Amino acid sequence: MRESEMIICRCEEVTYQELLDTAITYSCSARELKLRTRAGMGYCGGRTCRSIVDQVAKQVGSEQSKKNISLKYQAPIRPVNFVDLGGEGK
Amino acid sequence: MTLRVTDHPILGKLEKKKAVTFTFNDKQYTGYEDESLAAALLANEIRTLRHHEESGSSRGIYCNIGHCFECRVSINGKQGVRACLTPLKGNMIVESHGKLPTPVRDWRSSDE
Repeated sequence: MRESEMIICRCEEVTYQELLDTAITYSCSARELKLRTRAGMGYCGGRTCRSIVDQVAKQVGSEQSKKNISLKYQAPIRPVNFVDLGGEGK
Repeated sequence: MTLRVTDHPILGKLEKKKAVTFTFNDKQYTGYEDESLAAALLANEIRTLRHHEESGSSRGIYCNIGHCFECRVSINGKQGVRACLTPLKGNMIVESHGKLPTPVRDWRSSDE
């Protein structure tokens, strides 16, 4: 399996190649890379791929993107069932 | 229970536990009570616990410590329960999530 085919974000099936291409063509910050490729927006909330998406953006992105803040932990930090929200959960 | 390790070189003999039955996708399986559901399914040679919502690729145990949510199944009707963290109880009804009808990402090609 070539490096480019490696899946970085399991939940959204975003490959390393996709991240690289997007980061290069749009020279985006970590947050923009996440918004463009959906890497880090999956069910696990970026647990698996957050740091890698950050790294790709930092290494590949422009000078300006180096100073950008890295991806934050979006609420809800754990998947929540509407049943529990609605109150009649256990 | 062909895949089950009954005599581990380090952990030693598997001590006798109560066998319970549960159903996974409408098929009957047996496992030991209070072992993790993911382990019980693996002992019954079931590695595919669900299919990806978008691409339908088969998914199973990945981190096995409740971190990655790859092993989420629906248990007794409750969705998104992590199989690797749930202790097995008698006649649990387990179903796997499948591919969803409408894709989320079809807007990308037109949008970019």
